[in-house]
Amino acid sequence: MGGVSLYLHIPFCVSKCGYCAFYSERVCGGDVGAVVGAMIDEVRGYRSGLEISTIYIGGGSPSCIGVEQLCRLVDAVYEHFEVCGRVEFTVEANPGQVGGAWLERMKGCGVNRLSFGAQSFDEGELKLLGRAHGVEDVYAAFELARGAGYDNLSIDLMFALPGGTVEVFAESLDAAVGLGVEHVSAYSLSYEEGSDFMRELLAGRIERVCEEVDRAMYERAIEVLAGAGYEHYEISNFAKAGFECRHNMAYWANDDYIGIGPSAASWFGGKRYTNVADIGEYVAGIDSLGRAVAESSEPTVIEVACETAVLNLRRRAGIDVHEFVKRTGYEVFGLFGGEISCNAQAGLLEVCDDRVRLTDEGIMVADRVLADFSVV
Amino acid sequence: MNVKNIRNFSIIAHIDHGKSTLADRMLELTGAVTAREAKEQLLDSMELERERGITIKASAVTMQHTYEGQDYMLNLIDTPGHVDFHYEVSRALAACEGALLVVDATQGVEAQTVANAYLAVGTGAEIMGVINKVDLPAAQPDVVAEEIEHVLGIRGNECFHISAKSGIGVEELLDAVVELLPGPEDRSDEEPAALIFDSHYDEYRGVICYVRMFAGSLKVRQKIRFMGTGRTFTITELGKFRPQMTAVDELCTGEVGYLIANIKQLADVTIGDTVTDDLHPAKKPLPGYEPPMQMVFSDFYPGTNTDYPQLRAAFDKLVMNDSSFTFIPQSSPALGFGFRCGFLGLLHMEIVQERLEREHNIDVVQTAPTVSYEVLTKDGAVKRIDSPSVLPDPSHIEELREPFVKLEIITGTDSIGGIMKLTESRRCQLIKTDYLSTTRVMMEYKAPLAEIVYDFYDLLKGISRGYATMDYEFMGFEKSNLVRIDILINKVAVDALSIIVHRSNAEARGRKLIIKLRRAIPRHQFEIPLQVAIGGKIIARETIKAFRKDVTSKLYGGDVTRKMKVLKKQKEGKKRMKSVGSVQIPQKAFMSILDTSD
Ligand SMILES: Nc1nc2c(ncn2[C@@H]2O[C@H](COP(=O)(O)OP(=O)(O)OP(=O)(O)O)[C@@H](O)[C@H]2O)c(=O)[nH]1
Ligand SMILES: [Mg+2]
Repeated sequence: MGGVSLYLHIPFCVSKCGYCAFYSERVCGGDVGAVVGAMIDEVRGYRSGLEISTIYIGGGSPSCIGVEQLCRLVDAVYEHFEVCGRVEFTVEANPGQVGGAWLERMKGCGVNRLSFGAQSFDEGELKLLGRAHGVEDVYAAFELARGAGYDNLSIDLMFALPGGTVEVFAESLDAAVGLGVEHVSAYSLSYEEGSDFMRELLAGRIERVCEEVDRAMYERAIEVLAGAGYEHYEISNFAKAGFECRHNMAYWANDDYIGIGPSAASWFGGKRYTNVADIGEYVAGIDSLGRAVAESSEPTVIEVACETAVLNLRRRAGIDVHEFVKRTGYEVFGLFGGEISCNAQAGLLEVCDDRVRLTDEGIMVADRVLADFSVV
Repeated sequence: MNVKNIRNFSIIAHIDHGKSTLADRMLELTGAVTAREAKEQLLDSMELERERGITIKASAVTMQHTYEGQDYMLNLIDTPGHVDFHYEVSRALAACEGALLVVDATQGVEAQTVANAYLAVGTGAEIMGVINKVDLPAAQPDVVAEEIEHVLGIRGNECFHISAKSGIGVEELLDAVVELLPGPEDRSDEEPAALIFDSHYDEYRGVICYVRMFAGSLKVRQKIRFMGTGRTFTITELGKFRPQMTAVDELCTGEVGYLIANIKQLADVTIGDTVTDDLHPAKKPLPGYEPPMQMVFSDFYPGTNTDYPQLRAAFDKLVMNDSSFTFIPQSSPALGFGFRCGFLGLLHMEIVQERLEREHNIDVVQTAPTVSYEVLTKDGAVKRIDSPSVLPDPSHIEELREPFVKLEIITGTDSIGGIMKLTESRRCQLIKTDYLSTTRVMMEYKAPLAEIVYDFYDLLKGISRGYATMDYEFMGFEKSNLVRIDILINKVAVDALSIIVHRSNAEARGRKLIIKLRRAIPRHQFEIPLQVAIGGKIIARETIKAFRKDVTSKLYGGDVTRKMKVLKKQKEGKKRMKSVGSVQIPQKAFMSILDTSD
């Protein structure tokens, strides 16, 4: 496709959700202006005129820092890079935080896709998750977005919450479908190191749903969404035809991307590097050195091939053997012959039309399969 | 040198009572090593010995000592103390006229003190009692002297009080060795007869035989014959350990040294064989040794990064430096080709396994150790069985016999109760109790080897807060009510997991085993039944549930490096497994049988 994907991390939230382990600070205390300023400087540290094919503003909660700051950042991006005409430009938005004016301004900035962190259409679950919004806020935000002319909307849903049932999750799925949303991301709750949920789990105050229920919910999502015309194009992602998220597809293709902002990760120029997850250090680093990288590595060609296989296999389309050899220099069957045949024998992988992909059963246990491709 | 001026002696003792340290002091005082060359336990030259702080292999060394104006040649053999290596001690003793029995003044007489003293008595060696570590504040040399007199019949007032560490009394001990120990019998006029008491293999020079000359002499370039094997060789080098190998032209009657004769295979040399002249041989060979008896057996299969030929080559080499373990090819439907190995005990097994890993870079999957059994079949034949998997069908068995040992435990009187409970639960039969003093007691049992060879020692140490010591000696096979437990994984009997146990605790052992396996085997895509069977009848069952979902929901740009690491680890884990049918079994699962704890 040409062009690089650009991720902008806004490390601020109104409040922290219990399940979340992404880096963010409370917006009130944090110095938004300084961080955005540093992010602009970080953008300017890259070669000007670099072609950008997708932009994704995530967080944190991008919608909580005020529209002026966002526009400042976006203007700098447009000014410094060569943003392609048919760019996919997504902003994560929290229901309850976006009003008509915000939507208008963002549209004016070139944003053409919104991703709503709805998570659930059940008030009890929203409370449990620590979300600041209610179910009504989701409907309202959605209507406003449509009214403002957004025709590519996505909703995040979460399942396998403590105490969750297939029925309650199914209602959320139906509600999302009912809204006519173009794209759904359905995530099974994971207990992240350092999150409140993990602490609660370890303390025995909440309980994981059992694997059977987790699987039943996931199967329900696949069934309901497929029935409603959504294509299951990646492990957790579903889209109506033509509405796959191009930004994320770039990750799974192992294409280059640049991450800007505290804790953001990049895969660019043959290196993987991640910025510090601390706004103070980030600003100081950018100010003094022009960079704020905490960790970086340069994967070998063989490691790149493994990463590519692992990432590609997350797509329902799997590994395209031609695309793979072009990207990595390795024949996929040459490199992973044994892994492919034994997983195929176990009914977890299938090979057809020059593709290697997970079967329906394989998706359920994808990590076991992917592990085989993680190293040769 | 005149035969009268030679003294050959072994240093024997319970573990850690200070044998190797005493050898250090003697080497220093006689000038065999300079202060600059000296290091602690100098004779423990193997990496494993230094790391573990124990002696595994006996070492010989020649020293010069002047007494009353005359020069003496002292040949010292430092021996290991651990029960597994009694055999090394007997071999060393057979090459000596005397033994220094070292007893720690803070510990007193312990199980291996008694066992090794008996070995010395058995070979006719003159024993000198040496009470060591008198420098320690907790030393009670007089109490210990009484114990020695009471248990071993060595006069307490004749024991030497020394500190091997500080050197107190060691000079006097050297003099006493000359004065009190007999010299070798003078048989210099006879045909040569040398006892091979040990050997090791050198990459470049081939087999190096450790010999003790009992009669005549040997010279470089002499044509020699090994009387047991009948093989002939020409001596290329003779020498002594001073302690480094030092060539000499001739080894004479009474001397201890080494012999090199371009021998490329250890199979050509039998420890205990007699070396003589090819043309003018000795009339009869020296008494030699009983071959060592392997007490525990375990299968070694090549692990992930090793193949069968590599494992075989490593064993071939290792056996050249340790002739006391055995290995014979074995194949298992579950694990493929490997070897059934016999060891002197569990420590010996551990050491062989560790040496394979370190010296030969070999990794192995090992099955749980077992003792060997005797089967009397219906047709009257008696067979040795050292692998449960080869036990004949019960319908062909007239009688099953298990090995029994004489077990000696020395302990403080306060732990008698706990020890009685333990021994009872292990089918041990008390033969007699003997008080060493008012606070220490020696208990003698008849015990099934299988009950005491694995975890018994650890339990004993636990019960007695570390004070009890034990030693055992093989007695013979006796009829016993034994059954074989088979383990079925996913309906397939896994031969490598079978064990032979006493009927009375078959069910409990079987149940424990599959619970261990359930924890050790990861979940699969399908449900895996684990079953315990005795003679085809299922007596217990556990199930490993299938995994139903294992997928990371979110994987975007920032997560790649971290996720790849996790996946790699998962794959590494898979690699260390053996597949049995469609089930992947981690290597450690095969050892879980060993662990009888809960
Ligand atoms: N204080 C003191 N410590 C001693 C003395 N002799 C030996 N030791 C210590 O006791 C420990 C065991 O000594 P070793 O010489 O290795 O004992 P060993 O009998 O050769 O042991 P094994 O070969 O394992 O049977 C070491 O830590 C020595 O330093 C002594 O006279 N006084
Ligand atoms: Mg020692």
